Amino acid sequence: MMGRSTKYLMSMGELKRKDHSLVFRNDKGNTYIPIEGIKEIYCLNEVSLNTKLFQFLSKAGVTVHFFDYHHQYCGTFYPKEQLVSGKLTVMQAQAYMNKRMDIAKAIVQGIAGNIHQVLYHYYKHDRKDLKPFLDWLRKDVPVYLAKDLDSKQVLFIEGEIWRKFYTSFSSFLPADFVMNKRVRRPPDNPMNALVSLGNSILYSKTVSQIYQTHLNQTISFLHEPSESRFSLSLDLCEVFKPIIVFRTIFENVNNRKLQVEKHFERKLNYCLLNKQGKEIFLSSLEERFNSVFQHPVLKRKVSYKTAIKLDAYKLIKLIVENKPFVPFSVKELK
Amino acid sequence: MKVTGTLVNYYFHCKRQCWLHANKINLEDNSEDVRIGKILHELRAEGNKNSEIAIESIKIDKLTPDYLIEHKKSDANIEAAKWQTLFYLKILKDKGIERKGKIQFDEKNKQEKTIIYVDLTEDIEKRLQELEQEIIDYCSSATPSPAILDKKCKRCAYYDYCYI
Ligand code: SF4
Repeated sequence: MMGRSTKYLMSMGELKRKDHSLVFRNDKGNTYIPIEGIKEIYCLNEVSLNTKLFQFLSKAGVTVHFFDYHHQYCGTFYPKEQLVSGKLTVMQAQAYMNKRMDIAKAIVQGIAGNIHQVLYHYYKHDRKDLKPFLDWLRKDVPVYLAKDLDSKQVLFIEGEIWRKFYTSFSSFLPADFVMNKRVRRPPDNPMNALVSLGNSILYSKTVSQIYQTHLNQTISFLHEPSESRFSLSLDLCEVFKPIIVFRTIFENVNNRKLQVEKHFERKLNYCLLNKQGKEIFLSSLEERFNSVFQHPVLKRKVSYKTAIKLDAYKLIKLIVENKPFVPFSVKELK
Repeated sequence: MKVTGTLVNYYFHCKRQCWLHANKINLEDNSEDVRIGKILHELRAEGNKNSEIAIESIKIDKLTPDYLIEHKKSDANIEAAKWQTLFYLKILKDKGIERKGKIQFDEKNKQEKTIIYVDLTEDIEKRLQELEQEIIDYCSSATPSPAILDKKCKRCAYYDYCYI
């Protein structure tokens, strides 16, 4: 159904090993999932698993991400073989001491650049009121970031970029999808529900991509290393949010593929996608992760998912070889 | 650190590759085919013991009464394969096992297999000793030498990392 190597489990059920295959059993019966094709499993509902299954998944190198009822990320099961390099970990910690601000600023600059690219599309299609924000992103943000800043100040600039971005939605989205205010736990309106789920999936994908490198997931630069078990994922997923999560949301909303009346469940104090809404959104998100572009340096087709791993490589290169870190930018693809 | 046959091979093939590998930044086995192959191999081997011979840090493809046989998938770097095999011969000799080396290049698309024979001499043993120290020194240096794009890079597991 969706991307070859990713399986989303959206209904309640039980996941088991059967010979050399996985079986997912729910009230509709058994679905067989051949293990060779699978790299990641997302459990977006109550799924029962046992240790025998975990041993099997570990052998096959499959990661499993768990989410709670509100689609918040809960945790990840990792296969045992992890790539570790003591030397790199030591150097990564040194980079935290010596180059933290350079990396944090590069990420924030990357967010501003990619938001600019995404919004420029609407500006070209006659949303001229976006102009002041676009100018601010292009001219002012780099000036702020060139100053001597501490981590709180860099985070403040980042916060401003997102806040202004959310406010800008009113100029190109239907009124019922306007965000007002970002509310996370639990999301209070349809837009917040989409952003929460989209960001959680992107975050877990980033965890999986970093897992394929030797970076230490706890040492982060923009976010405080204490923020989460995988705070480096918080860092590296940022520049991809506008391009992967928000572009997918905007397209689905503007093409009326996702509609407030049809695809959401509103309760007194929260709002979530319903089953159909989840299916639509997750499959278009997955499609975006797997879509490819011609990479200007590697001179071959690369998927957005791989682009996340390539950003991790760039970070290793900064850490090991002092090559300036410039995160993924949609602009350089053109 | 411990010098392995793979490191000796890489040192001749590309020093940068040797440094990255020695510092455990190993990006091999990332491709989809390799991953699937590994999974199937793991599943089949469930319960069975591995049949490869491993002595200390070296894994030897095959040992006959006369030869240590090393298989290579391509003859792209004969020099590297030679020194790797010689390195193994030396380790065996130090253990009291004397053999000659036979390197077999089993290239998929080629009819004829190239076979190369190598043997230890006093000079070679001396060179191997120096080599080991050279590799240790190089791999302990702070950073690897920069990547120089070359035709060998096309097939290298570090390609993405080196050129990104
Ligand atoms: S890609 Fe080229 S430079 Fe980089 S490690 Fe491989 S052979 Fe060496």
